Amino acid sequence: MKRTPTTDAAMVVEIAGLKLKNPVMTASGTFGCGEEYAGYVDLNRLGGIVVKGLSLKPRLGNPPPRIMETAGGMLNAVGLQNIGVDAFIEEKLPFLRTYDVAVIANIYGESCAEYAQVARKLSAAPGVHALEVNVSCPNVKKGGLSFGADPKAAAEVTKRVKAETHLPVIVKLTPNVTDITVIARAVEEAGADAVSLINTLTGMSIDLKTRTPHLKNITGGLSGPAIKPVALRMVWQAAQKVTIPVIGMGGIMTAEDALEFMVAGAAAVQVGTANFINPLATSEIVQGMRQYVKHHKLKNITEIVGTLKV
Amino acid sequence: MAIMNKQITIGSVSGNDEIRPGYVLMTIHVHRSFPEPRPGQFVMIRIAGLQEPFLSRPLSIFSFSRGRSHGLVKLLYRVAGKGTQILAGLIRGSQVEIVGPLGKGYTVDPSRENRVLIAGGIGVAPLSLLAQHLCRLSGRGANPAVVYLGAKTADELVGLDQLHKYCNSIRVCTDDGSLGEKSLVTRTFQKDMKKHDPARTSIYACGPKPMLQSLAGILKDRYFCQVSLEERMACGVGACMGCAVAVRDENGDKTYRRVCADGPVFDLQKVIWE
Repeated sequence: MKRTPTTDAAMVVEIAGLKLKNPVMTASGTFGCGEEYAGYVDLNRLGGIVVKGLSLKPRLGNPPPRIMETAGGMLNAVGLQNIGVDAFIEEKLPFLRTYDVAVIANIYGESCAEYAQVARKLSAAPGVHALEVNVSCPNVKKGGLSFGADPKAAAEVTKRVKAETHLPVIVKLTPNVTDITVIARAVEEAGADAVSLINTLTGMSIDLKTRTPHLKNITGGLSGPAIKPVALRMVWQAAQKVTIPVIGMGGIMTAEDALEFMVAGAAAVQVGTANFINPLATSEIVQGMRQYVKHHKLKNITEIVGTLKV
Repeated sequence: MAIMNKQITIGSVSGNDEIRPGYVLMTIHVHRSFPEPRPGQFVMIRIAGLQEPFLSRPLSIFSFSRGRSHGLVKLLYRVAGKGTQILAGLIRGSQVEIVGPLGKGYTVDPSRENRVLIAGGIGVAPLSLLAQHLCRLSGRGANPAVVYLGAKTADELVGLDQLHKYCNSIRVCTDDGSLGEKSLVTRTFQKDMKKHDPARTSIYACGPKPMLQSLAGILKDRYFCQVSLEERMACGVGACMGCAVAVRDENGDKTYRRVCADGPVFDLQKVIWE
Protein backbone atom coordinates (compact mmCIF):
# COMPACT_ATOMS: atom_id res chain seq x y z
CA MET A 1 0.00 0.00 0.00
CA LYS A 2 1.38 3.37 -0.96
CA ARG A 3 0.81 6.28 1.28
CA THR A 4 1.44 9.69 -0.19
CA PRO A 5 1.97 12.55 2.20
CA THR A 6 0.63 15.85 1.01
CA THR A 7 3.14 17.24 -1.42
CA ASP A 8 4.32 20.76 -0.83
CA ALA A 9 4.47 22.37 -4.29
CA ALA A 10 6.98 24.94 -3.10
CA MET A 11 9.48 22.17 -2.38
CA VAL A 12 9.18 20.23 -5.63
CA VAL A 13 12.24 20.23 -7.88
CA GLU A 14 12.87 18.61 -11.21
CA ILE A 15 16.22 17.08 -12.12
CA ALA A 16 16.67 15.88 -15.67
CA GLY A 17 12.97 15.19 -16.05
CA LEU A 18 12.79 13.46 -12.69
CA LYS A 19 10.34 15.10 -10.33
CA LEU A 20 11.38 15.08 -6.69
CA LYS A 21 9.06 16.02 -3.81
CA ASN A 22 11.86 18.08 -2.38
CA PRO A 23 15.55 18.62 -3.09
CA VAL A 24 16.79 16.28 -0.35
CA MET A 25 18.18 12.90 -1.35
CA THR A 26 20.23 10.42 0.59
CA ALA A 27 23.82 10.00 -0.54
CA SER A 28 24.85 6.59 -1.82
CA GLY A 29 26.47 4.34 0.74
CA THR A 30 25.06 6.18 3.71
CA PHE A 31 21.48 4.95 3.69
CA GLY A 32 21.73 1.29 2.66
CA CYS A 33 18.76 0.49 0.46
CA GLY A 34 16.36 2.44 2.65
CA GLU A 35 15.40 -0.39 4.98
CA GLU A 36 17.96 0.47 7.62
CA TYR A 37 16.40 3.89 8.22
CA ALA A 38 12.77 3.15 7.41
CA GLY A 39 11.98 2.70 11.10
CA TYR A 40 13.25 6.21 11.83
CA VAL A 41 12.35 8.28 8.78
CA ASP A 42 9.20 8.25 6.65
CA LEU A 43 10.85 7.49 3.32
CA ASN A 44 7.85 9.01 1.55
CA ARG A 45 8.97 12.40 2.78
CA LEU A 46 12.35 12.27 1.07
CA GLY A 47 13.15 13.78 -2.29
CA GLY A 48 14.96 10.64 -3.34
CA ILE A 49 16.87 7.64 -2.12
CA VAL A 50 20.22 6.95 -3.72
CA VAL A 51 20.99 3.36 -2.86
CA LYS A 52 24.33 1.79 -1.97
CA GLY A 53 26.62 1.40 -5.01
CA LEU A 54 25.75 -1.66 -7.08
CA SER A 55 28.12 -3.75 -9.14
CA LEU A 56 27.52 -6.56 -11.60
CA LYS A 57 28.65 -9.26 -9.16
CA PRO A 58 28.48 -9.11 -5.36
CA ARG A 59 31.55 -7.48 -3.83
CA LEU A 60 33.18 -8.55 -0.57
CA GLY A 61 34.56 -5.10 0.18
CA ASN A 62 37.77 -4.21 1.98
CA PRO A 63 39.09 -5.91 5.13
CA PRO A 64 38.51 -4.05 8.41
CA PRO A 65 39.19 -1.64 10.02
CA ARG A 66 37.22 0.30 7.43
CA ILE A 67 36.39 3.53 9.21
CA MET A 68 38.06 6.08 11.43
CA GLU A 69 36.71 9.20 13.05
CA THR A 70 38.60 12.39 12.25
CA ALA A 71 38.14 16.03 13.22
CA GLY A 72 34.67 17.00 12.04
CA GLY A 73 34.23 13.91 9.96
CA MET A 74 35.30 10.39 9.20
CA LEU A 75 37.32 8.30 6.82
CA ASN A 76 35.89 5.21 5.19
CA ALA A 77 37.34 2.51 3.01
CA VAL A 78 34.43 0.13 2.68
CA GLY A 79 35.41 -0.81 -0.86
CA LEU A 80 31.90 -0.96 -2.32
CA GLN A 81 30.74 -4.06 -0.45
CA ASN A 82 27.36 -4.84 -2.01
CA ILE A 83 25.07 -7.72 -2.86
CA GLY A 84 25.26 -7.18 -6.61
CA VAL A 85 22.71 -5.79 -9.01
CA ASP A 86 20.66 -8.98 -9.42
CA ALA A 87 20.17 -9.49 -5.68
CA PHE A 88 19.30 -5.79 -5.36
CA ILE A 89 16.54 -6.11 -7.95
CA GLU A 90 15.29 -9.34 -6.39
CA GLU A 91 15.59 -8.57 -2.68
CA LYS A 92 15.77 -4.82 -2.09
CA LEU A 93 13.78 -3.14 -4.83
CA PRO A 94 10.38 -4.65 -3.88
CA PHE A 95 10.66 -2.96 -0.48
CA LEU A 96 11.49 0.40 -2.06
CA ARG A 97 8.56 0.04 -4.47
CA THR A 98 6.16 0.16 -1.52
CA TYR A 99 7.13 3.81 -1.12
CA ASP A 100 6.25 6.83 -3.20
CA VAL A 101 9.79 8.12 -3.48
CA ALA A 102 12.30 8.50 -6.29
CA VAL A 103 14.76 5.62 -6.26
CA ILE A 104 18.15 6.35 -7.77
CA ALA A 105 20.43 3.38 -8.29
CA ASN A 106 24.12 4.13 -7.87
CA ILE A 107 26.16 1.95 -10.20
CA TYR A 108 29.76 0.89 -10.35
CA GLY A 109 31.81 -1.20 -12.74
CA GLU A 110 35.38 -2.35 -13.15
CA SER A 111 35.13 -1.66 -16.88
CA CYS A 112 32.93 0.32 -19.25
CA ALA A 113 31.24 -2.92 -20.26
CA GLU A 114 30.37 -3.67 -16.65
CA TYR A 115 28.89 -0.22 -16.08
CA ALA A 116 26.79 -0.77 -19.19
CA GLN A 117 25.58 -4.20 -18.07
CA VAL A 118 24.55 -2.94 -14.63
CA ALA A 119 22.76 0.01 -16.25
CA ARG A 120 20.88 -2.30 -18.60
CA LYS A 121 19.68 -4.58 -15.81
CA LEU A 122 18.48 -1.66 -13.68
CA SER A 123 16.73 0.04 -16.57
CA ALA A 124 14.59 -3.04 -17.05
CA ALA A 125 13.69 -3.20 -13.36
CA PRO A 126 10.45 -1.50 -12.33
CA GLY A 127 10.89 1.04 -9.56
CA VAL A 128 14.24 2.54 -10.53
CA HIS A 129 13.82 6.18 -11.50
CA ALA A 130 17.35 7.28 -12.32
CA LEU A 131 20.93 6.06 -12.36
CA GLU A 132 23.85 7.65 -10.61
CA VAL A 133 27.13 6.59 -12.14
CA ASN A 134 29.89 6.27 -9.58
CA VAL A 135 33.14 7.21 -11.31
CA SER A 136 34.60 8.48 -8.08
CA CYS A 137 35.09 5.79 -5.46
CA PRO A 138 38.58 6.25 -3.99
CA ASN A 139 38.63 2.85 -2.28
CA VAL A 140 38.63 0.32 -5.09
CA LYS A 141 41.55 -0.82 -7.20
CA LYS A 142 39.80 -1.02 -10.54
CA GLY A 143 37.15 1.31 -11.90
CA GLY A 144 35.90 4.08 -9.67
CA LEU A 145 38.37 6.92 -9.51
CA SER A 146 40.36 5.72 -12.51
CA PHE A 147 37.34 6.69 -14.63
CA GLY A 148 36.40 9.81 -12.72
CA ALA A 149 39.82 11.46 -12.75
CA ASP A 150 40.20 11.32 -16.51
CA PRO A 151 37.81 13.39 -18.65
CA LYS A 152 38.02 10.98 -21.59
CA ALA A 153 37.32 7.89 -19.49
CA ALA A 154 34.50 9.65 -17.61
CA ALA A 155 32.91 10.66 -20.91
CA GLU A 156 33.27 7.14 -22.28
CA VAL A 157 31.52 5.57 -19.26
CA THR A 158 28.77 8.17 -19.51
CA LYS A 159 28.19 7.40 -23.19
CA ARG A 160 28.08 3.67 -22.60
CA VAL A 161 25.58 4.01 -19.76
CA LYS A 162 23.43 6.48 -21.70
CA ALA A 163 23.26 4.03 -24.60
CA GLU A 164 21.80 1.37 -22.31
CA THR A 165 19.10 3.32 -20.54
CA HIS A 166 16.07 5.52 -20.94
CA LEU A 167 16.49 6.71 -17.33
CA PRO A 168 18.06 10.03 -16.36
CA VAL A 169 21.80 9.56 -15.84
CA ILE A 170 23.57 11.42 -13.05
CA VAL A 171 27.35 11.18 -12.98
CA LYS A 172 28.90 11.38 -9.52
CA LEU A 173 32.19 13.23 -9.57
CA THR A 174 35.29 13.00 -7.47
CA PRO A 175 36.94 16.01 -5.83
CA ASN A 176 40.32 14.28 -6.13
CA VAL A 177 41.19 16.10 -9.35
CA THR A 178 42.91 19.35 -10.24
CA ASP A 179 39.85 20.88 -11.89
CA ILE A 180 36.46 19.28 -11.35
CA THR A 181 34.83 21.49 -13.98
CA VAL A 182 36.83 19.78 -16.73
CA ILE A 183 35.32 16.41 -15.78
CA ALA A 184 31.87 17.95 -15.32
CA ARG A 185 31.98 19.42 -18.82
CA ALA A 186 33.28 16.19 -20.31
CA VAL A 187 30.40 14.14 -18.95
CA GLU A 188 27.89 16.82 -19.92
CA GLU A 189 29.12 16.66 -23.50
CA ALA A 190 28.91 12.87 -23.34
CA GLY A 191 25.22 13.12 -22.53
CA ALA A 192 24.96 13.13 -18.75
CA ASP A 193 21.63 14.51 -17.54
CA ALA A 194 23.08 15.80 -14.27
CA VAL A 195 26.22 15.67 -12.17
CA SER A 196 26.46 15.07 -8.45
CA LEU A 197 29.41 16.19 -6.37
CA ILE A 198 31.44 15.75 -4.33
CA ASN A 199 32.33 12.18 -3.48
CA THR A 200 34.79 11.81 -0.60
CA LEU A 201 38.25 13.34 -0.48
CA THR A 202 41.08 10.84 -0.24
CA GLY A 203 42.75 11.02 3.14
CA MET A 204 44.49 9.04 5.82
CA SER A 205 44.89 8.75 9.56
CA ILE A 206 47.80 7.38 11.55
CA ASP A 207 48.04 5.62 14.90
CA LEU A 208 51.14 7.20 16.41
CA LYS A 209 51.54 4.49 19.06
CA THR A 210 51.95 1.73 16.50
CA ARG A 211 52.96 3.94 13.55
CA THR A 212 50.37 2.16 11.42
CA PRO A 213 47.48 3.55 9.41
CA HIS A 214 44.12 3.41 11.18
CA LEU A 215 42.55 1.93 8.06
CA LYS A 216 43.55 -1.45 6.69
CA ASN A 217 43.26 0.08 3.21
CA ILE A 218 45.76 2.76 4.36
CA THR A 219 43.80 5.55 2.68
CA GLY A 220 40.08 6.25 2.78
CA GLY A 221 37.48 8.77 1.76
CA LEU A 222 36.92 11.76 4.01
CA SER A 223 33.34 12.88 4.60
CA GLY A 224 31.42 14.98 7.09
CA PRO A 225 31.30 18.70 7.90
CA ALA A 226 35.10 18.92 7.55
CA ILE A 227 34.74 18.77 3.75
CA LYS A 228 31.81 21.15 3.37
CA PRO A 229 33.83 24.24 2.36
CA VAL A 230 35.63 22.24 -0.34
CA ALA A 231 32.35 20.81 -1.59
CA LEU A 232 30.66 24.22 -1.69
CA ARG A 233 33.54 25.64 -3.69
CA MET A 234 33.42 22.80 -6.22
CA VAL A 235 29.65 22.93 -6.59
CA TRP A 236 29.88 26.67 -7.18
CA GLN A 237 32.61 26.20 -9.79
CA ALA A 238 30.88 23.32 -11.57
CA ALA A 239 27.50 25.04 -11.64
CA GLN A 240 28.99 27.91 -13.60
CA LYS A 241 30.53 25.64 -16.20
CA VAL A 242 27.69 23.24 -17.01
CA THR A 243 24.09 23.75 -18.03
CA ILE A 244 22.85 20.41 -16.68
CA PRO A 245 21.70 20.34 -13.03
CA VAL A 246 24.33 20.00 -10.32
CA ILE A 247 23.44 17.95 -7.26
CA GLY A 248 25.46 19.16 -4.30
CA MET A 249 26.77 17.19 -1.37
CA GLY A 250 29.62 17.11 1.11
CA GLY A 251 29.19 17.55 4.85
CA ILE A 252 25.57 18.64 4.86
CA MET A 253 24.34 18.34 8.45
CA THR A 254 21.53 20.91 8.60
CA ALA A 255 18.94 22.67 6.46
CA GLU A 256 21.19 25.73 6.41
CA ASP A 257 24.02 23.67 4.95
CA ALA A 258 21.69 22.32 2.26
CA LEU A 259 20.44 25.80 1.41
CA GLU A 260 24.01 27.10 1.09
CA PHE A 261 24.66 24.44 -1.53
CA MET A 262 21.59 25.57 -3.45
CA VAL A 263 22.69 29.18 -3.30
CA ALA A 264 26.05 28.02 -4.68
CA GLY A 265 24.21 26.52 -7.63
CA ALA A 266 22.97 23.08 -6.64
CA ALA A 267 19.54 22.14 -7.99
CA ALA A 268 19.22 19.49 -5.31
CA VAL A 269 21.32 18.03 -2.50
CA GLN A 270 22.35 14.75 -0.99
CA VAL A 271 22.76 14.08 2.70
CA GLY A 272 25.30 11.43 3.63
CA THR A 273 27.39 11.15 6.76
CA ALA A 274 24.80 13.12 8.76
CA ASN A 275 22.56 10.03 8.64
CA PHE A 276 25.10 8.12 10.70
CA ILE A 277 25.01 10.42 13.66
CA ASN A 278 21.37 11.39 13.36
CA PRO A 279 19.06 8.87 11.70
CA LEU A 280 16.47 11.64 11.40
CA ALA A 281 18.84 14.04 9.63
CA THR A 282 17.17 13.90 6.21
CA SER A 283 13.67 14.55 7.46
CA GLU A 284 14.86 17.32 9.78
CA ILE A 285 16.65 18.97 6.84
CA VAL A 286 13.50 18.79 4.69
CA GLN A 287 11.56 20.35 7.55
CA GLY A 288 14.09 23.14 8.00
CA MET A 289 14.16 23.93 4.28
CA ARG A 290 10.38 24.08 4.20
CA GLN A 291 10.44 26.62 7.03
CA TYR A 292 12.97 28.69 5.09
CA VAL A 293 10.74 28.68 2.03
CA LYS A 294 7.78 29.79 4.13
CA HIS A 295 9.73 32.40 5.99
CA HIS A 296 11.08 33.93 2.77
CA LYS A 297 7.73 33.53 1.01
CA LEU A 298 9.28 31.69 -1.92
CA LYS A 299 6.96 30.26 -4.55
CA ASN A 300 9.42 27.46 -5.05
CA ILE A 301 12.71 26.57 -3.44
CA THR A 302 14.47 26.64 -6.82
CA GLU A 303 14.28 30.44 -6.61
CA ILE A 304 17.42 30.39 -4.47
CA VAL A 305 19.46 28.15 -6.78
CA GLY A 306 22.63 29.91 -7.95
CA THR A 307 21.76 33.19 -6.27
CA LEU A 308 25.19 33.67 -4.75
CA LYS A 309 26.10 37.35 -4.77
CA VAL A 310 29.71 37.91 -5.67
CA MET B 1 6.38 -0.52 4.09
CA ALA B 2 8.18 -0.58 7.40
CA ILE B 3 6.58 0.55 10.62
CA MET B 4 8.12 3.74 11.92
CA ASN B 5 8.72 2.62 15.47
CA LYS B 6 12.29 3.67 16.06
CA GLN B 7 13.42 6.93 17.50
CA ILE B 8 16.21 8.82 19.10
CA THR B 9 15.90 8.84 22.87
CA ILE B 10 17.03 11.81 24.89
CA GLY B 11 18.39 10.54 28.17
CA SER B 12 19.56 12.31 31.27
CA VAL B 13 22.74 11.13 32.93
CA SER B 14 22.02 10.40 36.58
CA GLY B 15 25.37 8.83 37.37
CA ASN B 16 28.72 8.50 35.63
CA ASP B 17 31.17 7.02 38.08
CA GLU B 18 34.66 5.74 37.57
CA ILE B 19 34.26 2.47 39.46
CA ARG B 20 37.85 1.40 38.71
CA PRO B 21 40.62 3.40 37.07
CA GLY B 22 39.58 3.69 33.44
CA TYR B 23 36.21 1.91 33.90
CA VAL B 24 33.05 3.96 34.10
CA LEU B 25 29.48 3.06 34.96
CA MET B 26 26.97 5.45 33.40
CA THR B 27 23.36 5.47 34.52
CA ILE B 28 20.88 7.16 32.20
CA HIS B 29 17.28 8.06 32.86
CA VAL B 30 15.19 7.42 29.77
CA HIS B 31 11.52 7.62 28.98
CA ARG B 32 9.37 4.80 30.33
CA SER B 33 8.66 3.69 26.78
CA PHE B 34 12.30 2.83 26.06
CA PRO B 35 12.20 -0.59 24.40
CA GLU B 36 13.24 -3.55 26.55
CA PRO B 37 16.76 -4.48 25.39
CA ARG B 38 17.62 -8.07 24.66
CA PRO B 39 20.89 -9.26 26.23
CA GLY B 40 23.77 -8.56 23.86
CA GLN B 41 22.15 -5.48 22.34
CA PHE B 42 23.84 -2.09 22.42
CA VAL B 43 23.11 1.60 22.01
CA MET B 44 24.73 4.36 19.99
CA ILE B 45 25.29 7.24 22.37
CA ARG B 46 26.38 10.83 21.84
CA ILE B 47 26.33 13.99 23.83
CA ALA B 48 23.28 16.04 22.88
CA GLY B 49 24.16 19.13 20.88
CA LEU B 50 27.90 18.46 20.82
CA GLN B 51 29.81 18.15 17.53
CA GLU B 52 32.91 16.56 19.05
CA PRO B 53 33.39 13.68 19.07
CA PHE B 54 31.79 13.52 15.67
CA LEU B 55 30.46 9.98 15.75
CA SER B 56 28.25 8.32 18.33
CA ARG B 57 29.83 5.55 20.38
CA PRO B 58 28.52 1.99 20.46
CA LEU B 59 28.22 0.71 24.03
CA SER B 60 26.78 -2.57 25.29
CA ILE B 61 23.82 -2.40 27.60
CA PHE B 62 24.99 -3.52 31.03
CA SER B 63 21.68 -3.35 32.82
CA PHE B 64 18.15 -2.16 32.23
CA SER B 65 15.17 -1.63 34.51
CA ARG B 66 11.84 0.08 34.16
CA GLY B 67 10.21 1.99 36.95
CA ARG B 68 6.85 3.75 37.11
CA SER B 69 8.09 7.05 35.82
CA HIS B 70 11.16 6.18 33.78
CA GLY B 71 13.56 3.54 32.52
CA LEU B 72 17.15 3.17 33.67
CA VAL B 73 19.84 2.20 31.19
CA LYS B 74 23.24 1.36 32.60
CA LEU B 75 26.33 1.30 30.45
CA LEU B 76 29.63 -0.03 31.73
CA TYR B 77 32.51 1.10 29.55
CA ARG B 78 36.25 1.30 29.41
CA VAL B 79 37.86 4.63 28.60
CA ALA B 80 39.66 3.61 25.43
CA GLY B 81 39.99 6.79 23.38
CA LYS B 82 38.87 10.33 22.83
CA GLY B 83 35.16 9.55 22.59
CA THR B 84 34.88 7.51 25.75
CA GLN B 85 37.09 10.04 27.53
CA ILE B 86 34.61 12.80 26.73
CA LEU B 87 31.70 10.57 27.77
CA ALA B 88 33.47 9.84 31.05
CA GLY B 89 33.60 13.57 31.75
CA LEU B 90 29.82 13.98 31.67
CA ILE B 91 28.28 15.24 34.86
CA ARG B 92 24.91 14.42 36.42
CA GLY B 93 22.10 16.01 34.48
CA SER B 94 23.92 15.98 31.12
CA GLN B 95 21.74 15.14 28.16
CA VAL B 96 22.66 12.31 25.86
CA GLU B 97 21.12 11.10 22.60
CA ILE B 98 20.61 7.38 22.39
CA VAL B 99 19.75 5.30 19.36
CA GLY B 100 18.77 1.77 20.29
CA PRO B 101 18.59 -0.84 21.55
CA LEU B 102 20.38 -2.06 18.44
CA GLY B 103 21.66 -5.30 17.00
CA LYS B 104 20.78 -8.91 17.53
CA GLY B 105 21.23 -10.27 21.03
CA TYR B 106 22.21 -13.68 22.38
CA THR B 107 19.97 -16.64 21.57
CA VAL B 108 18.74 -18.51 24.61
CA ASP B 109 17.87 -22.11 23.83
CA PRO B 110 15.64 -23.47 26.61
CA SER B 111 16.76 -27.04 25.96
CA ARG B 112 20.37 -26.23 26.81
CA GLU B 113 19.82 -25.40 30.44
CA ASN B 114 23.50 -25.46 31.45
CA ARG B 115 24.58 -21.92 30.65
CA VAL B 116 28.15 -20.78 30.81
CA LEU B 117 29.22 -17.15 30.64
CA ILE B 118 32.86 -16.34 29.90
CA ALA B 119 33.84 -12.71 30.27
CA GLY B 120 37.16 -11.01 29.77
CA GLY B 121 37.64 -7.45 31.03
CA ILE B 122 34.99 -5.04 29.83
CA GLY B 123 33.40 -7.99 27.99
CA VAL B 124 31.46 -8.49 31.20
CA ALA B 125 29.05 -5.69 30.18
CA PRO B 126 26.69 -7.53 27.79
CA LEU B 127 26.98 -10.76 29.80
CA SER B 128 25.66 -9.01 32.91
CA LEU B 129 22.45 -8.18 31.12
CA LEU B 130 22.32 -11.79 29.96
CA ALA B 131 22.79 -13.01 33.54
CA GLN B 132 19.94 -10.74 34.63
CA HIS B 133 17.77 -12.17 31.85
CA LEU B 134 18.68 -15.80 32.60
CA CYS B 135 18.00 -15.24 36.28
CA ARG B 136 14.49 -14.08 35.43
CA LEU B 137 14.01 -17.10 33.16
CA SER B 138 15.19 -19.75 35.59
CA GLY B 139 13.30 -18.44 38.61
CA ARG B 140 14.24 -18.32 42.27
CA GLY B 141 16.72 -20.76 43.72
CA ALA B 142 17.98 -22.10 40.44
CA ASN B 143 21.46 -21.21 39.27
CA PRO B 144 21.00 -19.38 35.98
CA ALA B 145 24.59 -19.70 34.79
CA VAL B 146 28.15 -20.66 35.61
CA VAL B 147 30.34 -17.61 35.16
CA TYR B 148 34.04 -17.37 34.36
CA LEU B 149 35.21 -13.82 34.86
CA GLY B 150 38.71 -12.73 34.06
CA ALA B 151 40.75 -9.55 33.79
CA LYS B 152 44.38 -8.50 33.63
CA THR B 153 44.50 -7.35 37.24
CA ALA B 154 42.16 -7.00 40.23
CA ASP B 155 41.98 -3.30 39.42
CA GLU B 156 40.52 -4.06 36.01
CA LEU B 157 38.09 -6.71 37.16
CA VAL B 158 34.71 -5.04 36.91
CA GLY B 159 31.11 -6.19 37.06
CA LEU B 160 31.55 -8.79 39.79
CA ASP B 161 29.07 -7.17 42.21
CA GLN B 162 26.39 -7.07 39.56
CA LEU B 163 26.94 -10.72 38.59
CA HIS B 164 26.75 -11.77 42.24
CA LYS B 165 23.15 -10.57 42.28
CA TYR B 166 22.21 -13.21 39.74
CA CYS B 167 24.74 -16.02 39.91
CA ASN B 168 26.33 -17.84 42.80
CA SER B 169 28.76 -19.84 40.74
CA ILE B 170 31.45 -17.39 39.64
CA ARG B 171 35.06 -18.33 38.97
CA VAL B 172 37.29 -15.28 39.10
CA CYS B 173 40.78 -15.12 37.64
CA THR B 174 43.37 -12.48 36.81
CA ASP B 175 46.45 -12.60 34.63
CA ASP B 176 48.67 -11.54 37.54
CA GLY B 177 46.86 -13.40 40.32
CA SER B 178 45.94 -10.19 42.16
CA LEU B 179 42.40 -11.53 42.52
CA GLY B 180 41.08 -15.09 42.26
CA GLU B 181 43.07 -17.66 40.38
CA LYS B 182 46.21 -16.62 38.51
CA SER B 183 45.17 -17.74 35.07
CA LEU B 184 43.67 -16.70 31.79
CA VAL B 185 39.91 -17.01 31.91
CA THR B 186 39.90 -19.37 28.94
CA ARG B 187 42.38 -21.67 30.74
CA THR B 188 40.27 -21.69 33.91
CA PHE B 189 37.26 -22.62 31.84
CA GLN B 190 39.20 -25.28 29.95
CA LYS B 191 40.12 -27.04 33.20
CA ASP B 192 36.39 -27.19 34.03
CA MET B 193 35.24 -28.12 30.56
CA LYS B 194 34.43 -31.76 31.36
CA LYS B 195 31.71 -30.57 33.74
CA HIS B 196 29.84 -29.02 30.85
CA ASP B 197 28.09 -31.58 28.66
CA PRO B 198 28.13 -30.20 25.10
CA ALA B 199 24.63 -31.51 24.40
CA ARG B 200 23.03 -29.44 27.11
CA THR B 201 25.39 -26.46 27.36
CA SER B 202 25.23 -22.98 25.84
CA ILE B 203 28.31 -20.84 26.13
CA TYR B 204 28.17 -17.06 25.88
CA ALA B 205 31.38 -15.09 25.74
CA CYS B 206 32.63 -11.56 25.34
CA GLY B 207 36.11 -10.19 25.67
CA PRO B 208 39.21 -9.18 23.77
CA LYS B 209 39.78 -10.81 20.37
CA PRO B 210 42.75 -12.99 21.48
CA MET B 211 40.58 -14.42 24.26
CA LEU B 212 37.73 -15.25 21.90
CA GLN B 213 40.12 -16.70 19.36
CA SER B 214 41.68 -18.93 21.99
CA LEU B 215 38.20 -19.97 23.10
CA ALA B 216 37.39 -20.95 19.52
CA GLY B 217 40.44 -23.23 19.57
CA ILE B 218 39.42 -24.79 22.88
CA LEU B 219 35.77 -25.39 22.03
CA LYS B 220 36.23 -26.40 18.38
CA ASP B 221 32.77 -27.20 17.05
CA ARG B 222 31.70 -29.34 20.00
CA TYR B 223 29.84 -26.61 21.84
CA PHE B 224 27.15 -24.09 21.06
CA CYS B 225 28.91 -20.80 21.69
CA GLN B 226 27.92 -17.24 20.90
CA VAL B 227 30.26 -14.30 21.23
CA SER B 228 29.63 -10.59 21.22
CA LEU B 229 32.09 -8.65 19.04
CA GLU B 230 33.30 -5.09 19.02
CA GLU B 231 34.27 -2.96 16.03
CA ARG B 232 34.48 0.73 15.23
CA MET B 233 31.07 1.91 14.04
CA ALA B 234 29.67 4.98 12.37
CA CYS B 235 25.93 4.42 12.06
CA GLY B 236 25.09 1.43 14.27
CA VAL B 237 22.06 0.57 12.15
CA GLY B 238 23.59 -1.33 9.24
CA ALA B 239 23.97 1.39 6.64
CA CYS B 240 27.61 2.42 6.60
CA MET B 241 29.20 -1.05 6.31
CA GLY B 242 32.03 0.24 8.50
CA CYS B 243 31.95 -2.40 11.24
CA ALA B 244 32.71 -5.41 9.07
CA VAL B 245 33.77 -8.72 10.57
CA ALA B 246 34.94 -11.68 8.50
CA VAL B 247 32.77 -14.78 8.93
CA ARG B 248 32.00 -18.01 7.11
CA ASP B 249 28.69 -17.97 5.28
CA GLU B 250 26.30 -20.92 4.83
CA ASN B 251 28.57 -22.39 2.14
CA GLY B 252 31.69 -21.96 4.25
CA ASP B 253 32.93 -19.07 2.11
CA LYS B 254 34.42 -15.94 3.61
CA THR B 255 32.14 -12.94 3.72
CA TYR B 256 31.86 -9.75 5.73
CA ARG B 257 28.99 -9.16 8.12
CA ARG B 258 28.06 -5.99 9.96
CA VAL B 259 28.77 -6.18 13.68
CA CYS B 260 25.99 -3.65 14.31
CA ALA B 261 23.10 -5.15 12.37
CA ASP B 262 24.06 -8.79 11.74
CA GLY B 263 25.62 -9.03 15.22
CA PRO B 264 27.07 -7.96 17.58
CA VAL B 265 26.43 -11.56 18.62
CA PHE B 266 27.86 -14.23 16.30
CA ASP B 267 28.33 -17.99 16.46
CA LEU B 268 31.92 -18.36 17.58
CA GLN B 269 32.79 -21.03 15.03
CA LYS B 270 31.67 -18.83 12.12
CA VAL B 271 34.06 -15.99 12.95
CA ILE B 272 37.26 -15.82 10.91
CA TRP B 273 40.16 -14.43 12.94
CA GLU B 274 42.27 -12.26 10.67
